[in-house]
Amino acid sequence: MVIVEQRYGNVLVEIVDLDRATLTEAGILKEALTKGIEEGLKKVVVDISKCEFVDSTFLGVLVNALKRVAKENGDMKLVGFKPGVRSMFELTRLFRVFDTYSTLEEAVKSFN
Amino acid sequence: MAEAEKKQSGAKILLVEDELNIAKLFEFNLKKAGFVVEIANNGTAGYELAKEVKPDLIISDIMMPETDGFEFRKLLLQDVELRKIPFVFLTAKGEEEDVLEGYDLDIQDYIIKTASTKVVIAKINAILNSHKKERAKVVAEVQQAADNMRATVVPKEFPAFEGYEIRHWHVPFENVPGGDFIDYFKFDNDNLVIILGDVMGKKWGAWYFAVAYAGYVRSAIRFALQTVQDLSPAKIISKVNESVCKDERIAEVFITLSVLIVNNKTNKVKYSGAGDLPLIYKKDKVDYILSRGLLLGFDETSEYQDHEIDLISGDELFLLTDGIMESRNPWGEQFGNEGFLKALKESPAGSDSIEVIKKVFSEHTGGKYEDDVSLIEIKRI
Repeated sequence: MVIVEQRYGNVLVEIVDLDRATLTEAGILKEALTKGIEEGLKKVVVDISKCEFVDSTFLGVLVNALKRVAKENGDMKLVGFKPGVRSMFELTRLFRVFDTYSTLEEAVKSFN
Repeated sequence: MAEAEKKQSGAKILLVEDELNIAKLFEFNLKKAGFVVEIANNGTAGYELAKEVKPDLIISDIMMPETDGFEFRKLLLQDVELRKIPFVFLTAKGEEEDVLEGYDLDIQDYIIKTASTKVVIAKINAILNSHKKERAKVVAEVQQAADNMRATVVPKEFPAFEGYEIRHWHVPFENVPGGDFIDYFKFDNDNLVIILGDVMGKKWGAWYFAVAYAGYVRSAIRFALQTVQDLSPAKIISKVNESVCKDERIAEVFITLSVLIVNNKTNKVKYSGAGDLPLIYKKDKVDYILSRGLLLGFDETSEYQDHEIDLISGDELFLLTDGIMESRNPWGEQFGNEGFLKALKESPAGSDSIEVIKKVFSEHTGGKYEDDVSLIEIKRI
């Protein structure tokens, strides 16, 4: 499985188990997040710490999911980052919109 | 060689069959014929495996424990990607009821378990060939439409603007326009507006929507240009962002945008960006300016700032999208902002910068690009 889903209470966690997260897999993450959010989960963590690279389609899925949960007063946090992904987030200024953590545990705890 | 006999060696076949002996026998014969074979023993396992391996053809038994062949087929039909894969039922004796129910589920054919290997292989090859031909036809049509639309997302000609040389280099990904768009708008004799944008999430199997979004943003920019009081890229971007945020129809799309306004009387350039890559300049040194604005469509209240640069003769500015930064060499290293700056720094004085970058970039990637490649150069003569 390229996207591993876990739940900690009402926190939905999606772990992206990929070196390169691209449009090929973006659809799988999109589907998983949509399903969780439609179930009413508003606290979401996406762990992209394994990714060496995230393309703009994949990034679009993350931004869109954040927008959706934020509308419902929820939030989405990210766990990361390898240097390539870090620089992409810096260049596109996305660090300003996502709360980021270096471990999954910290990200999940931040909701409590 | 007859069409049906044309071999499709190397094609990946998913076989879903619970009887081990039959599965083994089919696997042996299919592999011998040159196919790659994946096996699952019921519909649920078959569905998971299909998602993972994306086979070229699926052959499934009907009677199976847990999820039978009909249920398996229904699962596949609900999946946008998997429903397109040719599907064949394997049946004990071709019972009429089974055949009828199967065709209601949009399958391609039936194979009777006792059919000879020759017949089975010929049927599979015929189905794969016909599917390939259909796909080739669709790709050709899409290509034709794409060729016609390319002109709408990237101007065919460079703008003439006194005192400046403005050029762009644009290579659409796999020859199909993705999300990059370029526009030039001569506001008056003294001011030229230069726009470079990238629609994110552009490859949702529907690139033509990206072309439509690009057109939408271009119209919004032109509208903003007609209504702003002073020529400020930041104000233009703010207006476009407001329109994009308010429009539910494009709520799932995010756009990076760079806007430059060049004045050829004052020789000042104003720049602002939304989630875009840095504006790179080559003056007495090579450096870049990173705008602070967020992606378009993210937040209606996002703020954008103008940056001003004075240009003297020989100075150059470069706008680019992520296709250049993200493309890799055979060892997986990205070209990156650093690669771009390095190429510029090392280019000999008086050389043609676009040609230098093209050369270094092509050497780095071996000519294999992974996204749209777009670059605009603005040079004061």
